[in-house]
Order: sequence, then structure tokens, then C-alpha cells
Amino acid sequence: MNSKQKIVLLTAAVLLIGIFIVWQASGGEVLSKDGIWVKKEMTELDKSLGLEPELEFQKKFVLGLLPHTAVISGVVVFISAGLFFVFRTKKDKEKK
Amino acid sequence: MKIILKTFLILIFVVSASLAQGFKVKASGEQTFNFEDKYKRNQATFFSTTPLEDITGVSNDVKGKVTFNVSDIKTLKGSISIPTASIKTGIDLRDEHLRSENWLDAANFPDITFFIKKVGDVKVSGDNKLEAKVTGDFSVHGVTKEVVADVTMTYLDANEQTQKKAPGDLLGVQAKFKIVLSDYDIDNMIVGQKVADDIEINANIFGSNAL
Repeated sequence: MNSKQKIVLLTAAVLLIGIFIVWQASGGEVLSKDGIWVKKEMTELDKSLGLEPELEFQKKFVLGLLPHTAVISGVVVFISAGLFFVFRTKKDKEKK
Repeated sequence: MKIILKTFLILIFVVSASLAQGFKVKASGEQTFNFEDKYKRNQATFFSTTPLEDITGVSNDVKGKVTFNVSDIKTLKGSISIPTASIKTGIDLRDEHLRSENWLDAANFPDITFFIKKVGDVKVSGDNKLEAKVTGDFSVHGVTKEVVADVTMTYLDANEQTQKKAPGDLLGVQAKFKIVLSDYDIDNMIVGQKVADDIEINANIFGSNAL
């Protein structure tokens, strides 16, 4: 492995770890979502009526493992493998 | 003999009246509450799990009326329903699938209904609050099965605060029960995910006796 290949490998590893951290920080959901259900704040009257908080759909992108994290990770792996191959030295090529 | 009979009948009346469990509020006699709120603040939800995620379905289009004698909740009768097509899960594709023939078949079975049959296990937890097990016929996907819901009811006499929400006396109802999908001939695959057979259903609604 030459120095360029090492840089490619290191960059890919850093990117993949970064993607993993972002995915976990987004809640570690399996599926990506366009929005989430949130509990609305209750009024005193609703509490007196014995009701529970109403659910409200809020548009908000939630990064999930599928498809976004998996696709981005796949692209990183694919590009890294390509660059790793491109950065072969003459010595590597001769070996083959 | 007549005196003994009269005394016996009065005794039965007094005992049954003292056993009646209901609300101790200003209102009396039979009251009818309408749950159709024009601001769509009433909500029925279902909760289900799949191996990949939890699914919450929500409908804000609750309709129905209940009638009962304020002093005896066991006289409760009526029904609550939602249009099948009004359920939203937060993902349009999944909502379409939910309405489709394979799932709830909204075209052929436009409403999901709970028809009250009887009330049991009443626990009075305050002058205007009680808990009970309400048995009813739950109909979905053209199949009707008897279910028992854990229900909490709260009665609020009309006052300045309640008028801001709706006219008349208000009745808050919190109901929970579970159904088994396969009992209702519903396929448990939704957008490629296998949904758990047990579904939890909740109703979080209020009604008014002046609507």
C-alpha cells in the first residue's frame, strides 16, 4: 500500500465514522422519515378533562439507515475502492 | 301484605339507586354528548410495531354520540367512529397502502366503529371522574368483534373555561384497547414490512352536550 492509498483508506474510514456518528446523533432510526409525531402542549382545561397530549405531525427530515445512510456509505466505499485502484504504483501493477 | 310488598319495592329501589355509579355534577338525568368537533381536536390513534420501526396512525376526524344517565354510567350507550380514509401515518405511500384493498379497504369499508354494549368494573375516582371497562363491538375491514376498552371519563360542568373549548358541559374520554389484526382478516404486511399482529388503539376525545 502506497502513501496515496493510505490517505484514501484513512479518509474513507474517517468519512464512514462521521456518517455513523451523524446517523446515531439523528436518532439511529432504521428508516429515513419526512416528519415525526410530536406531542402538543396541553391546556389546563384538557388536563382537567383527563385527556392526553394530542399528536401533531411535524415535517422534519430524520436521517435513517435506509436508504440515506446506507447509500452515502456505499458511495464512499465505492469511490474509495476506485481511488485505491487508480493509485496503484507501477510495482503493484507489475506484480499482477 | 301490600305494605310488605311496597316496603320491599322501595328497598330494592333504594339499594339499586345507591349502587348506581355515576358523576356527582350539576347536571342530572340523561345527557347526550356529541364528539364531532369542527376544529378536529379529537383524536383516535393506533400504534403498531414492525421489525424496522414503530408505526403511529392518527385520525382527527372522530364522530359519534353517547348518551347516559349522569348518576348511572352503566346506562351508557352510543358509538364512536372514524372514516377509514382519515388515518395518517406521516408517510403518504404508507397511508395509500393502509387505505388499499390489501389492508383496511377504505373504499368498501369506509368507517371504523366502536359500538358500546355495556359498562362494567366502574371505579369512581372523583365527583366528576370515573374509570370503567366498556365492552363494545369494534368493526373494521367489514369484521366485527367484541372488545373491552379501559376507559376514563371526566365530566366538566359548563363554565367560563369550558366555553372557550365548546359550549355546554364537556365530557373527556380516554379509551384504550388492543385488537389482533388477523381477527379482522387484515394482511399484516405494509409497504414490505411485517406489522405485529397486536395493535393498540387509543381514543383521546371530548364531547359536548350542547353540540
